[in-house]
Amino acid sequence: MSDVKPPLLDVEHLSIALPASRRVDGQGGDLTLVDDVSFSIRPGERVALVGESGSGKSLTARAIMRLDGEVRLTGSIRWDGGELVGAPEPVLRSLRGDDISMIFQDPMTALNPVLTIGEQVAEPLTVRGMSKTEALARAGEMLDRLRVPRAKERLRAYPGEFSGGMRQRVVMAAALIGQPRLLIADEPTTALDVRVQEQVLDLIVEQSSELGLAVLFITHDLSIVAGLAHQVIVMYRGRFIERQDVDALFAAPQHPYTRGLLGSIPRLDADPSARLSTVDEYMARSREAADA
Amino acid sequence: MILEKEPLLPRNSISGFVSRTLFSRSWPVIDSIAFALVGLLLVLSIVGPWLAPHDPYAVDPLIALEPPSAANWLGTDDTGRDVLSRLLAGAPLTILAAVSVVVGATVIGVLIASIAALSPRWLDDAIMRVTEIFLSLPSLVLALGVTAVLRPSLSSIIIAMVAALWPPTARVTRNILRETMTSAYVESARVIGVSRLRLMLRHALPNSLDAVYVLASMEISGSIVMMSGLAFLGVGAPPPSADWGSMIASGQEFITTAWWISLFPGLAITIAALAFGLVGDAIRRINDPASRRTR
Amino acid sequence: MTSFVLRRLGHAVFALWGVMTLVFLMSRMIPGDIAAVAAGRLATPEQVEQMRVTMGLDRPIVVQYFDYLAKALTGDLGSSAYTHRSILVEIGEVLPSTIQLVLLGMFITIVVAVPLGIVAALNEGRARDVAIRVLLVLEGGIPIFWLAIMLRWIFGSIFGWFPITGENSLGAAPPDVTGFTILDSLLFGNAANLADSVSHLILPAVALTAPYISTLARNVRSNMLTAMKSDYITFAVSKGVPPRRVVMRHGLRSALGSTLTIIGMQFGWMVSGAVLVETVFGLQGIGSLMHKSIVNHDTFAVLGSVLVIGFVFVFTSMVVDLAQMLLDPRVRAAQGGKS
Repeated sequence: MSDVKPPLLDVEHLSIALPASRRVDGQGGDLTLVDDVSFSIRPGERVALVGESGSGKSLTARAIMRLDGEVRLTGSIRWDGGELVGAPEPVLRSLRGDDISMIFQDPMTALNPVLTIGEQVAEPLTVRGMSKTEALARAGEMLDRLRVPRAKERLRAYPGEFSGGMRQRVVMAAALIGQPRLLIADEPTTALDVRVQEQVLDLIVEQSSELGLAVLFITHDLSIVAGLAHQVIVMYRGRFIERQDVDALFAAPQHPYTRGLLGSIPRLDADPSARLSTVDEYMARSREAADA
Repeated sequence: MILEKEPLLPRNSISGFVSRTLFSRSWPVIDSIAFALVGLLLVLSIVGPWLAPHDPYAVDPLIALEPPSAANWLGTDDTGRDVLSRLLAGAPLTILAAVSVVVGATVIGVLIASIAALSPRWLDDAIMRVTEIFLSLPSLVLALGVTAVLRPSLSSIIIAMVAALWPPTARVTRNILRETMTSAYVESARVIGVSRLRLMLRHALPNSLDAVYVLASMEISGSIVMMSGLAFLGVGAPPPSADWGSMIASGQEFITTAWWISLFPGLAITIAALAFGLVGDAIRRINDPASRRTR
Repeated sequence: MTSFVLRRLGHAVFALWGVMTLVFLMSRMIPGDIAAVAAGRLATPEQVEQMRVTMGLDRPIVVQYFDYLAKALTGDLGSSAYTHRSILVEIGEVLPSTIQLVLLGMFITIVVAVPLGIVAALNEGRARDVAIRVLLVLEGGIPIFWLAIMLRWIFGSIFGWFPITGENSLGAAPPDVTGFTILDSLLFGNAANLADSVSHLILPAVALTAPYISTLARNVRSNMLTAMKSDYITFAVSKGVPPRRVVMRHGLRSALGSTLTIIGMQFGWMVSGAVLVETVFGLQGIGSLMHKSIVNHDTFAVLGSVLVIGFVFVFTSMVVDLAQMLLDPRVRAAQGGKS
């Protein structure tokens, strides 16, 4: 991917810390949650941020839109050349929903149960001054594009009437309606069953290709990354430990942790009774090899 | 894996409940004050009458309607009785009466709930319907009805209050009992032949007692106010009863000239209700697993 | 959805029947000679016997019960032992006054408690929240009747800002058409009537609301806290929704679901609390009627009032439940209906 397009998002030496006053574990000093990470995303590029629970991947993604008020950000996050760290709130608010959008893990709770889906999908437009009628019309079109059946009639329906997979499509519709240039997807398939997972992933890839939309995809599951991302970043305990093009990563993972992650994915062609090695075992093995 | 909402260990001892409550880790100052105040009030309601500087029932028209002074710290009422002494004499009538009413109603409520939970479905339903009917009337109105039927007296207020208070306890307890009795571990015990009664006594009931204690402690505050209200309306013990509600009633007509007669009993009720209310709130917060972390 | 409405109606009918039965049982538990109580203290022995026959006290209890039900459903609650007028008529004369007072009280409660709850929730843990909660705890414990006396004394007698007795001052009353002095003033009276009527009700209404403001504000606060921590709030923020809309449209709208139930119940509680306030302020409502009846040993009038208040309580609970069903899609979904 040697494009000469300037990066859309440029993160440099970003650290995220929890101030001492917010700590509940009784210890002093700031708690570093994410330590000195740097990456960039180009227009239309799909980047997968992979890591286990607690690795800091969600925090990193949320920091781009500054969704967590309690943490302290140091370093630089540049969007379209403009610095976001330390920028005033109205600046960030103008980006949200319009330039950068986000979808979350649990579609069952991401939608407000007492408001219609039409209103919620149209919201990024209505809060920017578009008339309700026009915004709702666009919402209907968006839901159609995402293949929500009978979209125009269902605009007045409530989230409770939809299944998980459908709700995730509604959420995506709301995220895409503002024609953002970057979509952040925070484990959007984790709470869904496998068949629906595939549909949602295909949808994301399809919309991204059609609209030229860049995607930052957060997941703990390396196996879904292969067909989806251009770039893969592996995160462990608040640090980036590997960052590569997807093909290179799968072919020749550098870090023992990555190797461990890849190695512990069950393979269709493997012996079903053979025991899978765990990540820790992989890392231990590489440590032994290094000592030898 | 079947997850139970409540731990399986029987937490059935009052001492366990008390020690968990008192020795909980985070302890806002306001709760300590409240607990101390409640302790003080309980002590006062027991020994109060003996601490009274004057005879609470001694009538002396010569010093009637005197403002607070060195001789009568809170003044005298319209028949010359010392307000402070009456306040102290009325403490058991107001506070202990409320506490005993709540205790009585709780016991009855738990009993009825237990019977309901052990009964066949139709009886359980019937008992619960009756409970619902009682809950269809605001408690004050129900209590007033009962006192009207039974003739005004201290005992009729007590009966009326118990009648008004047992339904909420019964409903909450029975729901918890039902839930426990149909839970996984009870079912498996049943399968191996343990009797329902035994299961109820050893597991279900102790499980529900925490909620019962919390409800009861929250009800004391309201009972103090409601019983005083009933007394104020004149359906309680007849004069010269020194309970705080009656004191307020008798001082009502002199409010512009001898405001202390009504003011101090009312202040006492408010403080007592406040203290017991805070304590009830604290007990609820401590024993609610969900809010434990946010304290 | 219709099945829910029907079930709820059935529930209400059952509750009404239950209240009537309860009141009947209470009336038969009167110690001593029931007929004598019903006839009143000044009744002659012949009148007592007359009463015994009218009430059917010599017939089997089951017959009495159905007789009572039939009478109650047609509006015959007996006659007052004190005034010898129909109990229902007497209640009907004074009930509007109480309803008016309670409505005013509910208005004050909602207008004060809801904003307090919201502000407390939005400032969770900070100074404003703590201050509000302390205030709420304090005023939640104040006995209504005592507050009534104190308010009357301080603002009525000492400051003279408000009148202290009755619904209207002499000569300032609006024509008595509906029994609601405020409504009568608006429709048939003039501005002076209105001002007079309202000013007479302010202190009683404020006294009535004290503990309920506390309950409602805490409920709103608690619901708002839960709502604001929901995922859909984060999602809304990520869409660029401005904070005010996030709080009001997303947070509040979702939080108010269960608050409506409490508001409905408070209506019933306030009607019963009115008995404490009306006597202090000399208002002629069902509360003071009950009190008068108790003082005069007019037990059947008391029971009649209990019945009527019970009806009101059941009715408002049902209305609130149905309203919730209309307004809250979650309730609709839980009841298995399609909107």
